[in-house]
Amino acid sequence: MKYAKILGPLLGLIVCICVAGVPDSRAEQISLNYRLKWLFNTSVAGDIFAMEKGFFAAAGLDVTIKEGSPEKDAIKELELGYADFGVASADQVIRALDKGADVVVLAQIFQTNPMQWIYRDDQLQITRLSDLQGCRMGITYGGNDETIMKTLLAKAGLTLRDVQVTGVRFDFTPFLKNRVTLWPVYRNSQGVILAGQLAREGESVRFFNPADFGVDFVANSVVTSGKMAADHPDRVRQFLSALLDAWEAAMDPANQKQVLAAVKRYDKGTQGEVQKAQLDATRDLVKPRPDTAVGRIRPKAWAQTEAIMLAQGMIKQPVHVTSRLRDLASFQ
Amino acid sequence: MLFRRIYQFMIVYAVFLAILLVVKKGLSLSDYVIPGLSLILETAVQMSAGFFTDVMDTLSVAILGQGISIFLAFFVGILGRKSSWAGSMIRVTAYNIQAYPIVALAPIIFILLGDGFLSRLLIAAMICYFPLLLSVLGVMAAPVEDIEHFYIATGRMRWQLEVKIRAFENLSKLTTVIAGSATLAMAGTIVAEFIAANAGIGYSIRIALYQSDLAAILTALFMIGIVISVYQGILETLGEMVKAKWGSENKGVLL
Amino acid sequence: MRLECSGLNFAYPESETMVIQDLWFAMDGPGFHAVFGPSGVGKTSFAKLLANYRDRPELPIQTSGIGTILYSYNLERLPGWSSTGRHLDRICPADRQDLKKELIDIFQLGPVLGARFSQLSMGQQNRMNLIRYLLQDFDLLILDESLANVDEKLRQAILLAVKELFSHKMFLYISHNLMEVARFCKDILVLTEPSREKPSKIVSGQDDTRISVLEKPSLDRIMLEVMSAF
Repeated sequence: MKYAKILGPLLGLIVCICVAGVPDSRAEQISLNYRLKWLFNTSVAGDIFAMEKGFFAAAGLDVTIKEGSPEKDAIKELELGYADFGVASADQVIRALDKGADVVVLAQIFQTNPMQWIYRDDQLQITRLSDLQGCRMGITYGGNDETIMKTLLAKAGLTLRDVQVTGVRFDFTPFLKNRVTLWPVYRNSQGVILAGQLAREGESVRFFNPADFGVDFVANSVVTSGKMAADHPDRVRQFLSALLDAWEAAMDPANQKQVLAAVKRYDKGTQGEVQKAQLDATRDLVKPRPDTAVGRIRPKAWAQTEAIMLAQGMIKQPVHVTSRLRDLASFQ
Repeated sequence: MLFRRIYQFMIVYAVFLAILLVVKKGLSLSDYVIPGLSLILETAVQMSAGFFTDVMDTLSVAILGQGISIFLAFFVGILGRKSSWAGSMIRVTAYNIQAYPIVALAPIIFILLGDGFLSRLLIAAMICYFPLLLSVLGVMAAPVEDIEHFYIATGRMRWQLEVKIRAFENLSKLTTVIAGSATLAMAGTIVAEFIAANAGIGYSIRIALYQSDLAAILTALFMIGIVISVYQGILETLGEMVKAKWGSENKGVLL
Repeated sequence: MRLECSGLNFAYPESETMVIQDLWFAMDGPGFHAVFGPSGVGKTSFAKLLANYRDRPELPIQTSGIGTILYSYNLERLPGWSSTGRHLDRICPADRQDLKKELIDIFQLGPVLGARFSQLSMGQQNRMNLIRYLLQDFDLLILDESLANVDEKLRQAILLAVKELFSHKMFLYISHNLMEVARFCKDILVLTEPSREKPSKIVSGQDDTRISVLEKPSLDRIMLEVMSAF
């Protein structure tokens, strides 16, 4: 009894010290900001899945994923310190390098550029680029699609003067009203919606994919600053590894239900059926073959993208973008 | 008035640019985030002529839009000046329409009118019209009893005379609001062009934004600022001339 | 011509304070009559009620032989977009052009007809305003401090000229100038504050028609009677 009187408080004290001494797993997590290029939707299913299924947390990272918009430029945020990682299009990366930004590419999410042109298959057949001559087409002036289309036309010995161009805005009215034949869309988001809409009216569509005609203009990629890559390779490896694992899992048809449920939590406005179709389309673009590793960087495509931009005067001198490509292996 | 406007703008722009350059230097930012002075100048040399044409295009739409909004504001203001049911209805309708942000209405406008001249004009007029309407309604709904009394008492009052009296007595306020609304008309047109037009400086800014070209955006802002300063200066000078010719103020006293 | 008030009460909406309480009086015949009283006693309120009494049938105001009632006051302005002369031309009926010229002479406004209203002195402004009322059709014209800021000599000349030229019309002259009211007016309605519970009353004035006549003892008596009325 005597000892019990002393042992009680002593045990309590020991338990307290032990509990206080247990390392808090949250406290050890590294906080990172990750800026997307666009809003939460099925196009970023892998990013959402990483956040929702704890891929980052398992890697010891506390990642805050922020939506993007045309005004929010991930590369600028890297430089300003608002973001540690981001998603940027290839043209952004190349322009940034042209202006002295310190940016490196870590992964190429889309193996095929989702920027494609939709058209009604009873109106047009594009088997050769010269079929574009005289076409009424939509183009976003200053956008990627303008660059890509100019390159395609140039390959066929044509210019924008040889086609009838309509400036693209945010709604599809010119295409739906049949005022234009070819309309630029993101194949895995707007493309799915438009195809569905027209299918309900008995019209079937096709997509004109520039890559099929040799123009492999790289789309969205994961980027970070050169300083981060040099100073914190472990952190980059942790982040990239977790992210790519999440993308692999998200693109696995076996996980479709879970992925759609996760996306739905962030994109409530899109119907489930549409999201399912968008996920299928995204899978084709991100992992075109079962053996394709998600995030695979294709230097040839990057080199071509740079060459196109240089040819069109979008950059003043070569930036040697291929020297700024770092895949996961380079951080192992 | 005109030159004061221009050099005031130059000072503001120079200060703004200096702050940007200090931030660039202080944080060692690349030209991609904040362009250096040489890049800005280089871009300005390359793009000034094109941007000037774009700004003039935008300005022409803005002037027309402002004209329409002045007409509309006076039309609604005159109709709505009475505290009758119809007047109150017109006022409430005008307020309600304006309560919707223009970006929410823009898609409908673009679907109905396309992305050409008419949409830009309508959006410019809509953005510029509400402050004008508020002022015109305020002026038109407030009786100038000291002047109107005679005409009412002797049965001479007509609506045209009532409008003339109230407009004349508030000439200074109206000319100031009209001159001020020029900026709004310009901003409205630029917003319209930015959202979905295929011409004008707003459209050029959108392209520059797509291309992360801040130097081009800064050049465009300079052009907009200069042109709007000149336009506003001209409006203010005209306002002063109107007040000098017609105004009842500052006439001095005959001894 | 008769103007009669039998038990007029008035308070502004949502106010419990009576501005005019139980006012009884009658004024007969054309000529200059006056409403007199200290500031805040309700002279202007009474004048405005009278000017618009036909729109408010509940008011116990009766008139006979009085058609048009006009109310003029000393803060009125003419529009500033053209000269005062042009304004007078516009509001002057075609058959009164001679009267207009005569009034301009009497009121000594000829030299300023080319000026804008805002360029005139306050006295000139009040004279200009009064002329345009005198050129209108009226049976009863209420002059609420309409000759304020006009120098005494000219004011007296104007009053006498108006009395002569418009001898068939009725005027209700509101002024703070006791001597002027006592000397030139016929009936003087002395208004008292409702809180003092002293009834308003009519005092007979001297009603002079010529400037040379000045009956000092009579004038003093009238003034004393007016003063003792409130």
